[in-house]
Amino acid sequence: MGHTQRKAWRDYAVEALMIAASLIVLLPILIMIFGSFKTNVEVLDFSLKLPKSWQFDNYKKVFDEGDLMRAFLNGILITGVSAIINIVTTSAASFVLVRRESRLSNFLYLFFFMGLIAPMSTITTIRVVQWFGFYGSITSVIFIYASLNTAFSVFLYNGFIKSIPKVLDEVAFLEGAGMFSVFFRIIVPLIVPVNATVAIMVFMSVWNDVTIPLYFLTDSSDWTMPLSVYNFYGKFSRDWNLIFADLVMTSLPVFILYLFAQKYIVSGLTAGAVKG
Amino acid sequence: MRISKNLYSYYLIMPALLIYVLFFVLPTVVGLFYSFTDWRLDRESVHFNGWYNFHTIFSDETLLKALRNTIVFAIVTVIGKNLFGLVLAVALNMKLKTRNALRAIFYSPSILSIMVIGIVFTPMLRADGAINKLFEAVGLGSLTQAWLTNPAIVIFTIAVISIWQSAGFQMAIYLAGLQSISKEYYEAATIDGAGSWKSFRHITLPLLLPAININVMLTLIGGLKVFSEVFVLTGGGPGNASQVVGTIILRSFGEGSWGLGTAMNTLLFIVVTIISIPLLLYIRRKEVSE
Repeated sequence: MGHTQRKAWRDYAVEALMIAASLIVLLPILIMIFGSFKTNVEVLDFSLKLPKSWQFDNYKKVFDEGDLMRAFLNGILITGVSAIINIVTTSAASFVLVRRESRLSNFLYLFFFMGLIAPMSTITTIRVVQWFGFYGSITSVIFIYASLNTAFSVFLYNGFIKSIPKVLDEVAFLEGAGMFSVFFRIIVPLIVPVNATVAIMVFMSVWNDVTIPLYFLTDSSDWTMPLSVYNFYGKFSRDWNLIFADLVMTSLPVFILYLFAQKYIVSGLTAGAVKG
Repeated sequence: MRISKNLYSYYLIMPALLIYVLFFVLPTVVGLFYSFTDWRLDRESVHFNGWYNFHTIFSDETLLKALRNTIVFAIVTVIGKNLFGLVLAVALNMKLKTRNALRAIFYSPSILSIMVIGIVFTPMLRADGAINKLFEAVGLGSLTQAWLTNPAIVIFTIAVISIWQSAGFQMAIYLAGLQSISKEYYEAATIDGAGSWKSFRHITLPLLLPAININVMLTLIGGLKVFSEVFVLTGGGPGNASQVVGTIILRSFGEGSWGLGTAMNTLLFIVVTIISIPLLLYIRRKEVSE
């Protein structure tokens, strides 16, 4: 057997193995999707059989009883505002951190970087938010997410702004522009793709998060989708078809975002891998 | 011609710094103090009680169990996520016809909430669930288990679910690393007569080091911070068999023993920080040498 032929056989073998392995990932997801269209008796075999008749009604029921719309809007509000605050504040901060190249800016970068590593101190964060007087509110959760994502965003923006030649700033400064107009007229247009990456990374992590709403949203009408699905799971533990429908609905927004924004996710990951 | 650095005013850092300090740094610093107090829900005032909380942590059976479980979970997931992530990345870096679809499939669980994954797996992991049925169907009936109710294995079950979810995420980072390696190295190696294993060992692995480093650190730190996986799948049970630091903090919060919970948090902070110092040093060294 020739070398190229052997290589082709090896590729086929790897491909077959990978397709088989992908079933391990796909099957549980398919069980959830098929189950969401079954009756509450049929669903109990938790199998890959297609539904005998497709119960689209399950989704309507979940929508009405699970209060999904409210949870969806809470999620949009929390993820949207915290992502915007995060993008505005960290891109501006990274701009100065990168351009200063001083001891202090180096120290501040490491100081921010610690936030990527250190675990948050949950119970005392509650205490601090109580001191500010807004414990239990959506506002507190927005600020907490903005601060938790600061480190990662500064890291991403730093890498990118470093690659923008400083000469661009210098020309503008010579023409009499101030720092703000340099930032808004030169840097901001160039970092649009990074903004998209940061927005999507923040959105994914905040949308799916369970911990912060659990500790900080004391009123269940403020809950986001993952937490309200947990509540629903407790209440409707006999109706697995409805639970599955609720799970599908909860995953749909991130799934759609993933379909349209894959490019930005990959560039976020690449920044981490290549920079090390 | 040099432009004065002072043109870049530190004012622009202030909003980010303020949010970060008020909602992250301040609670952490406050936590260091409260770890040494008898802070409780039902107490009017808070008093220092020295090392009492830490003494409790290291003498209480359940809390020790939680520490051990956290370390076991971290080690198992670091190995599993990186091993599978690397194998998937190397395989899906080959010229396969379905590789784009396969990459998307393997990555997809990491975009789902652990809440969704935990609930989907719960019925499958029961004694009469799909996973045991599958083992029986392929003649491995002896491997069937009460995956979430056997205290001896429950933490490993949770670790495997976590590997299932995020091996694809690690794969994506490894793929980005693999794609940054120039093909010329491999061509040169082939001309020199090196086989696939030799190429992998002497070209791929060394050049993949930044990706390996970032992945190991991400999975290690993430593993030590584990909470949601356990919360959703078992809530720390059966009994306290799968408690981890994260769930103990929630329990302490619920019970009102806030000083103890904060001490547990501080302990986690110290462990994570000590482990991460090599990473910080590595990154600094790399930036200096650039």
